[in-house]
Amino acid sequence: MWSMVVLPPLQYSIVKALIEANQPIDADSLAGKLGKRAEDIMRDLEELRSRGLVNLEHRPVNKVSLTSLGEAYLKNGLPEERLLSHLRSIGGRAKVGELARLTGLSDEEFAAALGRLRRLNAISLTGDSVTLTGVEEGLRAYVNELKGLLAGIRGEVEYPGELPSIVEEARRRGLVKVRQVRRVLASPTQGLMELYRSGELSSARVITSLTSADLASGAWRGGVFKEFDLTVEVPLRPIRRRHPFTQFLDHVRDELVAMGFEEVKDNHVDAALWNFDVLLVPQYHPARRETDVFYVENRLKPSEAPGDVMGRASGEHRAVWGYGWSGEEALRILLRTHTTLVTIRQIYLRGRGEYRLFSLDRVYRPDTPDPTHFMEFHQLEGIIVGRGVTFRNLLGFFTELAKRLGLGRVYFKPAYFPFTEPSVEGYVKHPRLGQLEVFPGGMFRPEVLRVVGLDRDYKVAAWGVGIDRLAMVVLGVDDIRTLYTNNVREVESMRGVAWVV
Amino acid sequence: MPTIKVSLSDISSIAGVELTLDKLREVIEVLKGEVEEVEGGYVSIELNYDRPDLFSAEGLGRAIGVYLGSRGLPRYSVNGPATRLDLSKAPSYRPYAYMAIVRNVELSDEAIRQLFQLQEVLHRDYGGDRRLVSIGLYDLDTLKPPFGYIAVKEATYRPLDYREEMTLTEVLEATEKGRAYSSLVKPGEYPLLVDSEGRVLSFPPILNSEDTKVTESTRNILIDVTGIEPELMKRVLNVMVTSVAERSRNPVIESVEAVRPGYSEVTPRLDWVRVEVKLSDIEGLLGVKVNPDVVVNLLGRMGYEASCNGEVVEAQAPPYRIDVHDAVDVIEDVAIGLGYGNIEPSLPPPTHFGAKHPVEVLSNLVRELLVGMGLQEVVNFNLISDEAMVKAGFQDFVKLKNPKIRDYSALRSSLIPSLLLTAKVNQRLVGRLEAFEVGDVIEVKGDTATTDRRVGVLLMGDGFTLTDGLSIVKSLLRYLGLDAGIRRYSGGPFINVRSVEVLVNGVSVGVVGEVDPEVLVDLGIEKPLVVGELSLGLIMGVLKGLKGSQ
Repeated sequence: MWSMVVLPPLQYSIVKALIEANQPIDADSLAGKLGKRAEDIMRDLEELRSRGLVNLEHRPVNKVSLTSLGEAYLKNGLPEERLLSHLRSIGGRAKVGELARLTGLSDEEFAAALGRLRRLNAISLTGDSVTLTGVEEGLRAYVNELKGLLAGIRGEVEYPGELPSIVEEARRRGLVKVRQVRRVLASPTQGLMELYRSGELSSARVITSLTSADLASGAWRGGVFKEFDLTVEVPLRPIRRRHPFTQFLDHVRDELVAMGFEEVKDNHVDAALWNFDVLLVPQYHPARRETDVFYVENRLKPSEAPGDVMGRASGEHRAVWGYGWSGEEALRILLRTHTTLVTIRQIYLRGRGEYRLFSLDRVYRPDTPDPTHFMEFHQLEGIIVGRGVTFRNLLGFFTELAKRLGLGRVYFKPAYFPFTEPSVEGYVKHPRLGQLEVFPGGMFRPEVLRVVGLDRDYKVAAWGVGIDRLAMVVLGVDDIRTLYTNNVREVESMRGVAWVV
Repeated sequence: MPTIKVSLSDISSIAGVELTLDKLREVIEVLKGEVEEVEGGYVSIELNYDRPDLFSAEGLGRAIGVYLGSRGLPRYSVNGPATRLDLSKAPSYRPYAYMAIVRNVELSDEAIRQLFQLQEVLHRDYGGDRRLVSIGLYDLDTLKPPFGYIAVKEATYRPLDYREEMTLTEVLEATEKGRAYSSLVKPGEYPLLVDSEGRVLSFPPILNSEDTKVTESTRNILIDVTGIEPELMKRVLNVMVTSVAERSRNPVIESVEAVRPGYSEVTPRLDWVRVEVKLSDIEGLLGVKVNPDVVVNLLGRMGYEASCNGEVVEAQAPPYRIDVHDAVDVIEDVAIGLGYGNIEPSLPPPTHFGAKHPVEVLSNLVRELLVGMGLQEVVNFNLISDEAMVKAGFQDFVKLKNPKIRDYSALRSSLIPSLLLTAKVNQRLVGRLEAFEVGDVIEVKGDTATTDRRVGVLLMGDGFTLTDGLSIVKSLLRYLGLDAGIRRYSGGPFINVRSVEVLVNGVSVGVVGEVDPEVLVDLGIEKPLVVGELSLGLIMGVLKGLKGSQ
């Protein structure tokens, strides 16, 4: 079972010393023999133990030393001895108070000594007078034992196991202090003995870290490599890194590009015309109120408000919603509430054709902040434009995207948006969070396409994704605000880039 | 989205079938609704904006019953006109009013609650909170037709739920509804609905009369809509009339003629909306093959009168389906009838190459380089407080008219204020910090607001100086293949003599500087800062120019 065992020099000398000692030996004296301190060899002892070469036994040991009071009593005698000799010197009988003054002991010492002498029957107390009884055997025995103990202590004395009662008595009287330490006893294992006897133990330099000097000199040839300890935890490195949220968003961009989508951008601040009116959201719709949209205080003009778009918007609003559309209301400047503003204007700009576009950007709504809502968030939104584009393709897009983002199967149910028909809400099932409705979409209404100048031959599948919600799931974040954190500790603690696989 | 509360037994009796909660949950999906909460026999249902005909038990029960086949579609005939509504003295700023009558109703307490709920939801979601359309219901038998819609200086009546009479001015001051909606009426020209004996029906759009209100003993109901959007008002009236009619076993609907010199209009019209849909249009939009018999059957369940003539399906939507305008609306109902789960998803591969936006490509390059230099990326909101903007030395930026929270009352026009906030958040967490952000800012120049992508750099802690900031900025530009020049800069939150403008090809693309201690103290920042910001939009312009000249 054993083959040649090579040990580093220090470990080799340790095992040799242990074998020679022929009995368990404690680490301190072992270290002493090797001219080292115990702490210098503990790590090696542990390593030898883990290799099955050395037995280590941890044993508690009491170390007893004198207190300054103990030293004083040893020099001047115990208070009971001093009291007795004073009493004897004045004829063996005295008043308590008189005796106390005479002895010069403190009140406490005097009271304790008096009590102890009476318990040992060396004196008797009647009223306030003290009388010597002449019986001194008990006292003698006690004093001799105690003083013998004190006299025997030089520095620290070790008591393995339980303390003798006289030591406990000395400790109780504050004459000694006791310190408990753990002592390590080392002895060779059977295996080590066998190796040693069969001459299969040797010593060589152990290399823990190869150096260029070793390589140059060839010294590594005479050494052995230290076996790597798999149980030791290595320290983690601090990191400066990409914010996991921007990294996630970029990964999403990559997936969309792979699906043939071109990224587009547009204004964060623009006229209601592009955010609502071209999308046929009626001007009296609750979603346009100041509780649902941030309007702008500055006097700004819209990016553009072409007459043809305004005219067609007016007509379609009247036809579909049956009210008098106001151009002034359409020119109110707001913070975009969705990125549909981006995609719909692209249709206006590009018109006919076969194309796939997406936008991944921030939008704003005066939502009351809670763990899943904030006043600013991201929307991922896109369109598939072409003559033959169908609702089925839209469902196909969601299915493919969910697959690429590792979300599993998408389920679909009917939904409503003023600018799409049919409309759909896609959701996925998350093991912990349940149903996540993250895939709204639909086919742009012909009236909407007319407003931006696209004729009925063309169809547009429009989709959106609640990307922040997905980011929270992927990054293991419970509060949407954490995605937007500038706190470097929070960034550090965010889950890594596991979505890539 | 509107949420309504209905009684399960009430919608069951209208639907003509005993509905369990599970059944309701299943069917409601077809109507784009969702059961939100169940309490006793009552169910809260979240509905979508497009189907106001479902905003109460009447329409909801009707649609569910038709879908499950437990009842048929209603047929409406309108008699009359039974009486007149004189508009000749109507208020000029709120000139329109229409009426309709529904006879033979039987109202339970629950029915009254439902009609009231319908009225309130319609007010909010279709009436522009009563500004465009306001609705009223009255016990016809307490009134003497014909009626008038008039403007008055002042009048007295007993408002709904009050014992004593009040003047209109008192109603505006003393009642909750009066205070909430007083801005919709003009003093001196208060709108009033009255009968032929001068009895007040209502002070629209504020409050009806207590004396004409609908109770459980009401048998004949008069409905009015007043407002400023005639088309919308007539649609809302149709929804009200057809809903009230559900509370009658034998409803008799009578029209009322609205008149003014040179004008007359009879309401309600209750016309069915006829839409022709070609089978090829259904297949073209949905991408699935359909069988005409199946389509006709599905549309029947979805609440249409449908028939098929060769390749064309003719669908007639009842007068309460005010959401049906175009073939696509009918086709959606076909898809819902088929079940979205039964449409096999399919997306053909792209015919064109995809591409990231160039500014995102450049942003990523910049992020990689800065992380490589050992800086940590942080993210901030574009929304910020206007105070933070001003304290950082910025004046021209987008201010919100209606901020929700003071801390987010503006849009940043620079990353620098965000970086100062970043310093404040982290100053006690770390000794020194080297961080950056790549993000958008919204610049205001004159009367236009434009978006620019920026990169901002933040160095926080003792020992950092402008040299360190510049060294990062210049290295970054060098690794992008650009040589940067500098010149003195004064402005922003910087120490005057310790800030510079960064130039690339003679174009100023940004600034770097040590932040003025006055600013730090003002913001409660306890460590020295160096901050800088470059415009990636401008840098991209320079890079494009260089490429063009090669």
